[in-house]
Amino acid sequence: MISTVYAVLFYLATFLMVAGVGMKVFKYATTPVPLNIVVSPAPRTKRGVVFRMFREVIFFESLFKSNKWIWLFGYLFHWGMLIVLLRHFRYFTLNTWWWVEIISPIGKLMAFAMLAGLLGLWARRIFQERIRYISNPSDHLMLALLVGIAGSGTMMSYVTHTDIINVKAYFLGLMRFDLSHTLPADPILMAHLGMVVILMIIFPISKLLHVPGVFFAPSRTLVDNAREKRRVSKWARNLPPLPEGIPAKEEG
Amino acid sequence: MKTLLVSVLMMAALMGAPVLAEGLLPNIPAALGEPHPEGNEFWRVNHPAILSHDRDLTVLDGIRDIDGSIKTCVACHAVEGPDAAPLTVASPEHACRTCHDYTAVKIDCFQCHNSRPEAGDWPAVLPSLGGTPESLHAYLERISQ
Repeated sequence: MISTVYAVLFYLATFLMVAGVGMKVFKYATTPVPLNIVVSPAPRTKRGVVFRMFREVIFFESLFKSNKWIWLFGYLFHWGMLIVLLRHFRYFTLNTWWWVEIISPIGKLMAFAMLAGLLGLWARRIFQERIRYISNPSDHLMLALLVGIAGSGTMMSYVTHTDIINVKAYFLGLMRFDLSHTLPADPILMAHLGMVVILMIIFPISKLLHVPGVFFAPSRTLVDNAREKRRVSKWARNLPPLPEGIPAKEEG
Repeated sequence: MKTLLVSVLMMAALMGAPVLAEGLLPNIPAALGEPHPEGNEFWRVNHPAILSHDRDLTVLDGIRDIDGSIKTCVACHAVEGPDAAPLTVASPEHACRTCHDYTAVKIDCFQCHNSRPEAGDWPAVLPSLGGTPESLHAYLERISQ
C-alpha cells in the first residue's frame, strides 16, 4: 500500500520536475535579451565568458566577492549536497559505478557539511534583522525541507538504519516500471522520501530554479563587446534609417 | 505543447528502457543453521551495530563471553565453493559480499578476521592465544611494570 502510494508520488514528482524545469529552461532560452547588460568587469571573449561561468559555478565567485559568510555556508551546503547526491547513485544503478564507491565514505561525512551550511544560512534568516525582514515563507520552507531531508538521511546513516537492500530494489524497480518490490515502512525513510517528493514537485516553481537559471543570467553570460558588436533587436530592424555616422548593420 | 512533448521524451530517456523484473535483488545464500530468533529483518538492519557493540565489549572491556562473534557468523553463513571448500571473501558469492557489493558498502572485518570457517584442512590463520580475563589482567600488569 505504502509502496504503491510512494511509487505514484515519485512518478508524479519526476514528471512535474522534469517537465516543469524543461518548460522553464525553454522560457529562459527564448526570452529576448535586447541589450547587453553584462556586469563589468566582464570578459571580452566567449572563451572568457566560459571561464567566468566556470568560476561562478565551481567557486561561487560573485558571492565570495559580495559576502564571505553567505559564501562559506552556501559553499559548504552546495558541495556537501553534491557529494551526498552522487553517493545516492548506489540506489539507482544495479552495479554501482566505481567512482561512486570511492566517494561513498566522503559522502557519508559530507552530510554534516551540508547540514552545517544549511543551519548557517537559516540562522542568517532568523537572527539577522535585515534578512529576516526580507525573508518570505518560501525561503524558510526551502531551508526546512533541505534540513529535513539531510537530517533524516543522516539519521538513517548514523542512528537508526533502514533496510537499504529493499530500498535499492524498490527504486531499481521503479526505474524499470516494476512495482513488485516493497519499500521498508520505516518512519524516517517515509519522511525522507516524502520531503524529497515535495521538493521535487515545488522545484520548478521555486527559487531553486537558480540551478538552471545561472546559465541564463544575461548579467553573467554575455560577452562585454558592446563597442565591437552592435546589438539590434528584431523590432528595431524595422525602424526608419539611422542618422548618418551610425552603421546600420550588425557587425561581426 | 512542444515543450511538454520534449520534456516527456527527456524523462523517458532518463528513466531507461523497461527491463525484466528479475535480478533486482541480490542473490542472498541461505545460511546453514537455525534462523535468527529476532528475524532476518532485524539482522539485516542492525548487524553492523551489533558487531560493533560486541567488538567494543571484547576489545575494550576484555569480555570474551559474548553472544555472537564474527567466527559464528561466517560458520553459519558459509557458502560452498566449486572445490567443496567454503568461499572466502575474495569471491563475490561470499554471503557478506552479495549484499555489501549490491549496496556498495565496504567492510574491513576481513582485513584481520578469517572470512570462512575453520574446518578440516583450513586451519585458523592465527593460533588462538587462549585469553581469559585473568590472563589479560596478568598481561596488562606485566607490561605496565
